[in-house]
Order: sequence, then C-alpha cells, then structure tokens
Amino acid sequence: MRVVGSVAWREYASFFRTSLGWVVMALFLALSAAVFSASIQPGEPATLRGFFSVWWALLLFVAPAVSMRLFSDDLRSGTIETLLASPASEASIVGGKFVAAVGFFLTMLAPTLVFVVVLESLSDPDWGPILAGYLGITLMGMLYLAIGLAASTMTSSQTLAYLGTLVVLILADILLVQASSRVGPRVGQVLLGMSPNVRAADFARGLIETRHIVFFLSASFVALAIATVSIQSRRWR
Amino acid sequence: MIHLRHVTKRYGPVTAVADASLSIGRGEVVGLLGPNGAGKTTTIRMTAGLMPPTRGSIEIDGHDTVDDSAKARRLIGYLPESTPLYTEMRVQDYLRFRGSLCGLRGRGAREGVDRAIDRCSLGEVRRRRVGHLSKGYRQRVGLAGALLHDPPLLILDEPSSGLDPTQIREVRSLIRDLSTDRTVIVSSHVLPEVELTCDRVVIIARGKIRADGAPADLVATQGGGAHVIEVKPNAGEASASGGTKLGDFEGRLKQLGASSVTTSNAGDGWTRLRVVAAKKDQDLRLGLARAATGEGLSIRELTRERASLEQVFLSAIEEEGS
Repeated sequence: MRVVGSVAWREYASFFRTSLGWVVMALFLALSAAVFSASIQPGEPATLRGFFSVWWALLLFVAPAVSMRLFSDDLRSGTIETLLASPASEASIVGGKFVAAVGFFLTMLAPTLVFVVVLESLSDPDWGPILAGYLGITLMGMLYLAIGLAASTMTSSQTLAYLGTLVVLILADILLVQASSRVGPRVGQVLLGMSPNVRAADFARGLIETRHIVFFLSASFVALAIATVSIQSRRWR
Repeated sequence: MIHLRHVTKRYGPVTAVADASLSIGRGEVVGLLGPNGAGKTTTIRMTAGLMPPTRGSIEIDGHDTVDDSAKARRLIGYLPESTPLYTEMRVQDYLRFRGSLCGLRGRGAREGVDRAIDRCSLGEVRRRRVGHLSKGYRQRVGLAGALLHDPPLLILDEPSSGLDPTQIREVRSLIRDLSTDRTVIVSSHVLPEVELTCDRVVIIARGKIRADGAPADLVATQGGGAHVIEVKPNAGEASASGGTKLGDFEGRLKQLGASSVTTSNAGDGWTRLRVVAAKKDQDLRLGLARAATGEGLSIRELTRERASLEQVFLSAIEEEGS
C-alpha cells in the first residue's frame, strides 16, 4: 500500500509540473462552463440534470488526455526499467498511477462545484440529483481512466494511447448503443448494459443504483488487471 | 553471489546471448566488455530481473531472477543504460521516491537519501530539478538512486556513456569508491573504463563469453608471446657453420620454441628480429640471449612484448568474427 501511495503522489504532482496537466484542466473547465451555461434556462427548474446528461461526452475526450501519459511516458523515457527493477510489485505501481489519475480528475471536478453554488444562489435546487450526478461522473471517470491506463501500458506513444482509449470509449459509449437497436431485444439489453453512458444517465436523473456502482467498479478493476498483466508481461518477453 | 547457468536469450531468430555461464563472488567488481550489440545489455537486463532467459537460469544469492524475482530484485541496485530519470522532480524528491519503491520509510528513507547524496557528492544540487543538471550530475543521481537501499549488488549498464572526459573520470572514481563494500557489475564497450575500475573482465562478443579473468591474467595467458631482439655480428669472429652468424642464430630459433620470425634492418649493421613464441605465455628471453651470444652476436635490445588488454579484446572479437 505504501508503494501505491508514493507512486500516486509522484504521479499526481507530475500532472502539475507539466503543462499538459494545466492545459487539460483548463480545457475541461472551459468546456464544462460552456455546457453549464447552456443548460441553465430562465424559467426552467434549477437542476443540473441537463448539465450531467451532456457532461459525460466531455469525459470521452478529456479522460484519455489525462491517462495517456501514465505508462507511455515511462516506456518512452526508459524510467519503466527503474520501476520494474525495484522490488515493488506491478499491481502496486499500476494502483498508484490509477489513484493519481483519479485524484487529478477529482481535482479537475472540484472547481465545477462553483456551478452548484451559482445554482444555489439563484434558487433552491434539489441536492439528491446533484450528488447522484457527481457520483455518476466520478465512477464513469474512474472507468475511463482505468481503460486509458491499460492502453498506455501498451505503447510508448502518448498519441497512440490517447487514440486507442478514444476508440474503446467510442465503441462502448456510442456504437454499443447504436448496435443495441439493430439486434434482438435480449442481446440489445446486454449491449446497453455494457455501455457506461447508459448507466451514467440514471445517475444524471438522480437515481443511485447499486448495480450501476458495481458495474463501474468491477469494469475499472478488470481494466486495471489488464494493465497489470500488460506490465508484468514485459518480464516474460 | 551471482550464478548464470547456460543462459541463452533469443529474440525471434536472433540469438543475443548463447549458452553463457558465469559465477561472480561477493565483493567482486566485474566488467562486461564487448562491442555494441555483443549481448552485454541483454545479459545485464536478465540479471536485473527485467527479462527472463529463453534457456538456463540466473540466481542472485540463491534467488532465481524469474521464480523468485521480487527477492532477487531487493538485492540489486540497477542503473539502466542512458540513466532514465524523472526530469521534472527535484533531486531529493526523486531519491525519496526511489527509496519508497524499495520499501524505505520515515527515518530510514531520510538517512538513505542523505547517505546516497553524500556518497555521490550531490549535496549542492539536492534541491535542483533533475532536468536542470549536467549529464555528469544526472549520472550521479542515477547511481544514488541505485544505492538508496544499500544493495549488496550494483548493476551498472554503460555508466559513462555520453559523458565528457572529466565526468567519465568522476564517475569511474565514484564506481571505484562504491565497489569497496559490494559486488559490482559494470557493462561497457569502452576498454579503459573496465580496465581501470574492474578486478575481473568478461569479454562478450556475439552473445558468447570469449574471455574471463583478471586483466593481468588475460594479458598473460591470451596476449603477448612476441619478443624483439636487435643483434649485430661481432667483428673478426667467423661463423661456426661457414654461413653468416645471423643465419646460424635464426636457425636455432625454432629449437627454442619460436613459431615465426620476422627480420628488419635496424641500421648501422644491426638487425631487428621479432620472434613469436609458439606458446603465448612462453618467455624466450634467456634462450635468445644465450643463443645470440653463443653465435657471436652482440645484443643491444631484448624485450618481451607486453600485450595490452586492448589486444586481448580485439583478438577475442576477431576470433569470433573469423
């Protein structure tokens, strides 16, 4: 666990030591503000429901930008050798980098609480859907980052890691939904169940369902396990 | 402490290391010497537990680098080729991080970092960012990182590549200091580096171990064998055989154990002969002196050529290439 902590802290701090971290955060916040201002209409109920239902689409492009350097940069610079030659386990290194990425993501989300404050100052919003929406976006972000982290273990090119993650996320979020309407109802249900944004839509509506939480956590775990095996496999070659 | 047993590493159809066996005792400073692409880095990376051998096994203090990799890695301080570092970090933060990977915490970590900074003379740059340091300092940071958990084995892959002559001298002296209380394996394609820092040299060419021993032993057993003698017939003495005195002397060289003789005019009546002994370690000086004086020749020079480690190295590589 201690290795997880120190890898996480080093990685988290490095997001702020490079311009990439600041650029990604600025981009995310600017786009979020644009989505927020577009979702608030005079005379409409004071909710973030419209905001949350569009917000996930931003993650599609922002999460891969956060995760793309996690291992790709070590593979490019050769620092992966110092990590792998140390007694630390591959799982703890992967875990540390994941915690750092989630930490950075939560740091990116924190300023968006201003939107809630703005909403509160204008009216009397219902807190339940807002909390559910934040929980949903956090779980979705964790899954996207875990998928991106797995992609970054497979290439020393950050661009390839970004594009690879984007392809997987588009496949899961858009193509699965489209495919579900063209197959039988049973297969369609299974495909819809595998799509993160369909599950996240329930959170945006204020529904917190255990099965959705279990889905996001277990899918993240699977992606992290793939990342760990991918790193371990470097020792087998 | 380290045992490589019939280690072979193949990358597809290419054999990088072929049936290499090597034992290294505690406290030895061993240089892996070979041209680029000889298999040094592959051997080093397998020993550091970063990749498995295709065949054979490697043990560090009884721990197999594949089956018991984590325990084996705990005993190793590793400096990869080209010294990859996190350039955005400050020196002391980077060392703390490396220490934490080896399980150092709290006071132990602080002491380990201070000790490594002290040993590698990094005190004045400890708060500077790694990316702002000269290459020589970066190399020291890499070495300090490898030393943090005080490992009994240091593995250094091309530690002075890309450094200027002053930095090379500093790094060599540092390696010499570090080797007083631990086993060190240094890979290099630069001969003086190995000659000056190592007690033992292992020459690798095309994935095979071509020579192994102390530099002086390698020179004595693998190099040399040539003698140079300059002679001039004494005036007024006739040849016993009726020919020339020099001809008689040359005729006796085969019996003394010479395999080849080349002669050249050294001027002023002197003749220079280069006599190569049939056995590389054979000393012919006394026999040559007796034979020359017996044949009525004056001697103004008689030396046995000392082969350099460079000649041993080159002949090992050429032997493999031929």
